[in-house]
Amino acid sequence: MTPIVDRRRPAGAPLAEVRVKRAAYAVGAALAAILLLALSGAAFGHSPKELLALLIGGSVGSPFALQGTLLKSVPLLLTGLSVVLAFRAGVWNIGGEGQFIVGALAALVASRYGAVASLLAAMLAGAAWASLASLMRLWRNAPEVLTTILLNFTAIHLLGWCVNGPLREKAAMYPQTDLAAATLPRYGGLALAVLAAIGAWWLLYRTREGLRLRATGFNPDAATWAGVNVRAQLVRAMAVSGAVAGLAGGIELLAVTHRLFERFAAGYGYSGIAVALLAQLHPLATLASAFFFGALVSGAGELQRTANISAAVATFGQAAVILALIGFEHVRRRT
Amino acid sequence: MRLTRITKSFGATRAVDDVSLDIAPGEVLAVVGENGAGKTTLMRIAAGELAADSGEVSEHGTVGFVHQHFLLVPELTIAENLAVTHRGFRFASHRTLAREAAATIAATGIALGDVNRRVADLSVGEKSKLELIKAIARNPSTLILDEPTSVLTPHESEELFRVMRTLASRGTAIVFISHKLPEVLAVAQRVVVMRAGKVVLETRGATAQQLARAMVATDVGRASARPPRERRAEARPTFSTGDLILHEHEILAIVGVAGNGQSELARTLRDQLPHAAHIPEDRTRDGIIAGLSIAENLALRGVPPDAIHHYNVKARSAGQNAGDLSGGNQQKVILARELGREPKIIVAAEPTRGLDLDATAFVHDQLRTAAGGGAAILLITSDLDEAFALADAIQVIYRGKLSARMTPEEASTRVANLMAGVA
Amino acid sequence: MFDAALDVIPLAIVAATPLLLAVQGELVVQRSGIINLGIEGMMLAAAMTSVLAAQATKSVAIGFLGGIAGAAVIALLFGLFAIALKADQIVTGTAINLLALGATGFVYRELQQGAIFVQSVPRLQRDFVLPLAWIAIPIVLALFLWNTSTGLRLRACGENPEVLGARVRSHRALALAIEAVLAGIAGAYLALALSSGFAENMTAGRGFIALSIVIFGRWKLKGALLGTAIFGLAAALQYALQASARGVPFHLLLAVPYVVTLLILCGVAGRVRAPESLGK
Repeated sequence: MTPIVDRRRPAGAPLAEVRVKRAAYAVGAALAAILLLALSGAAFGHSPKELLALLIGGSVGSPFALQGTLLKSVPLLLTGLSVVLAFRAGVWNIGGEGQFIVGALAALVASRYGAVASLLAAMLAGAAWASLASLMRLWRNAPEVLTTILLNFTAIHLLGWCVNGPLREKAAMYPQTDLAAATLPRYGGLALAVLAAIGAWWLLYRTREGLRLRATGFNPDAATWAGVNVRAQLVRAMAVSGAVAGLAGGIELLAVTHRLFERFAAGYGYSGIAVALLAQLHPLATLASAFFFGALVSGAGELQRTANISAAVATFGQAAVILALIGFEHVRRRT
Repeated sequence: MRLTRITKSFGATRAVDDVSLDIAPGEVLAVVGENGAGKTTLMRIAAGELAADSGEVSEHGTVGFVHQHFLLVPELTIAENLAVTHRGFRFASHRTLAREAAATIAATGIALGDVNRRVADLSVGEKSKLELIKAIARNPSTLILDEPTSVLTPHESEELFRVMRTLASRGTAIVFISHKLPEVLAVAQRVVVMRAGKVVLETRGATAQQLARAMVATDVGRASARPPRERRAEARPTFSTGDLILHEHEILAIVGVAGNGQSELARTLRDQLPHAAHIPEDRTRDGIIAGLSIAENLALRGVPPDAIHHYNVKARSAGQNAGDLSGGNQQKVILARELGREPKIIVAAEPTRGLDLDATAFVHDQLRTAAGGGAAILLITSDLDEAFALADAIQVIYRGKLSARMTPEEASTRVANLMAGVA
Repeated sequence: MFDAALDVIPLAIVAATPLLLAVQGELVVQRSGIINLGIEGMMLAAAMTSVLAAQATKSVAIGFLGGIAGAAVIALLFGLFAIALKADQIVTGTAINLLALGATGFVYRELQQGAIFVQSVPRLQRDFVLPLAWIAIPIVLALFLWNTSTGLRLRACGENPEVLGARVRSHRALALAIEAVLAGIAGAYLALALSSGFAENMTAGRGFIALSIVIFGRWKLKGALLGTAIFGLAAALQYALQASARGVPFHLLLAVPYVVTLLILCGVAGRVRAPESLGK
């Protein structure tokens, strides 16, 4: 089983060349996904040109569209960062969905104490939820790949119970909560997300802790010989990863939806995997990667409104990107 | 089977150097030597697993090879393991498989007991027998066993020898690879001693001591000519566990043929002494982190990048990818990382393996300097030259146990025997 | 209340049938060493293709075949990336699910505009799937896995693939094919018998529940049957309780299977031994 994105540099390759190659794979995968969408549309009688025009127009074609894209990128950026941090440490955190939800729940409950407390609560909750999985791995050898997914579903149903029960709005008309007591300005979330990306980069590349994390991800055996406590690293990486995903949920609540309801997460956690892989697991590249997927979502919305093409094509596009990256990685390893 | 002028190199290392060997049907031949002598490589060539660079292998009939590492499925039963490599589709109930397995096992003359037991529940000796049965069941005309007794109790080894004699009496040619002389003498009719890829001795009636001396190259007598290092009076033990005691200002060398517990020892010490400096045996897999730069590798122990100058690392800059460096330079980076913070205890496993003379001399210098500065050094090595050049005290590891501590003078006469398991 | 519960049992068995098929398919695949998260996508695709095939030919039987075909396409994709290209199975499975979700949503909407969806969906008249899923298939699979040479080798693939070397891939592909057939029937049954056609994301996470039950049942067929039965009964009981307004928190009960599986993974009910090389 091989990692989709291998951050090791082939021997003797200069850094610039490696960076260019990685960017090429990313751009190639993005283009492949768009191409696949166009072809699928054509198969059902839509003109590819029209399709592309709508996609581009609906995502970046106007200031209004651009705004929408930027805002849609925010949760993707954060869940993408969450996956980047985990995967770089060699930890399989597939639990972004659950950590997102739990973060939002905590943010709602803590919102009476203000936005800052609310977001902090979101991060703590996300870290704790993720740590359930890492501790289960540490103490009972339960593979975090499975436990994080199971925790996702647990969180989804926890949310369902909350919005239908203890946290249900006072009017009790719909399965949703009351408005959160704090809010964030719409672009506040964007600013925080960008800061988080920079922070993640700084953590990974400019701190001793981040160095140990990367070392663990590259080669846990060698890292142990070099004095790194690999088990502690795994727990810490999962916690940070969960915190970022939780933050995503908190921001989504405070800045966008303002209340919780049953389908709150809607796949952000899993989309984060696509964002992270397209960014070739580099925190700063998630800025571009999240923008791309945000644009895809916006564009798909336009496709649905104007050409009656299901917005689900955005999900299809995410899958196409991941599969294209797998293909490229395979080719890269062969040559 | 006849091997004629076999030569095989792996990169720059000549593993087998112009070796010719005849193996007659019905004889039990032992191939002995230290690790790296070329025994396994030669036999793998004989079995057809590896291709020789030059020379000829002529065999009559099939060659069976019983590997050191088991190729068994622990969750399946004995009967299932015997059936799993068969081809084709057929219905086969548990009873059918059990019947067939019992028949196969009976034909080999080895006793294994209930074939419905899971392999995971078997003792190591029984698993070893199962591997043997798998090989014998194919009726090879030559059977090669690679270190077959490394995991067996003496009783199980006896059983194995009985089986080997029986097979030989039926005409199978048996070759077994070992570095354990007592066993070799117990069962082999002819012994071939290999050293550094060549056959150095072929004999029928040698004593253990003669064989041991032939196995070991070093003229260990000259070791005593080295002046002893200055030691503080009353060197307190810095660390001790079991038979192992480390002192400041001292280099203790643990020598032995690879596979006698050195890796386990190094690993145990790594876990027990997280603040000590550890130089792992496998520098590319366990030493250098290839995805990080040199500076980053050093930074893991808080060593500044300019250490590459002190340690003579030949690289474009400290930002260069550590995986790009040659073996010698990688070792220097590891040394810089581990020694750069002036540790009190150093555990170095095979630190000069695969290095050229210059790099080796450099490493030795660094270790001597560190010892001079007060560090307690444990050197685990299979290179006797190195051990005698550096050590203040020597112990031999055999089957996971350490011998008594010896001075280099004492060791010079005893080390060959101890390494080969001869008292 | 006990009466209500008893009434519910046959309904529970029927409703849990697609789940059982998925569980058995995933069990075979996991026994061969592969973890296929994409079973969710396989069922979803099968649901859609089964409806399309049934509407086009007005035949339920063809509908089921269409379902198998849909699942097979997804399985082929998964096998291509996870087995042939040796990519990470979890990420590939996740991608496959996203693909199926997106593709079915897309295709469904496209075809809604055409004539095909206007026609009614033929329904399953005589339910052959129920005895198939609960009796015939478990027996056949048990015979296959434990009483044939191919089944033996397949199980070895999940434990120590190096013993079989190059033949591992063909055995894993066979396992995937079996799963495709079972998932295909499951999706078709869901759409043609339990519902009246396709709806977006109609599998609603059954694939992941199936994964949990495979673990819960410790990768054994008896465990699969038992686990699915328990889950089906529990789900049905929830509805019964809800109907009698007993105030048991419905959503928390939905979380129970996952929590139980988590506990099992932590070894709470004895040590859990997954096939040794699962996912590697």
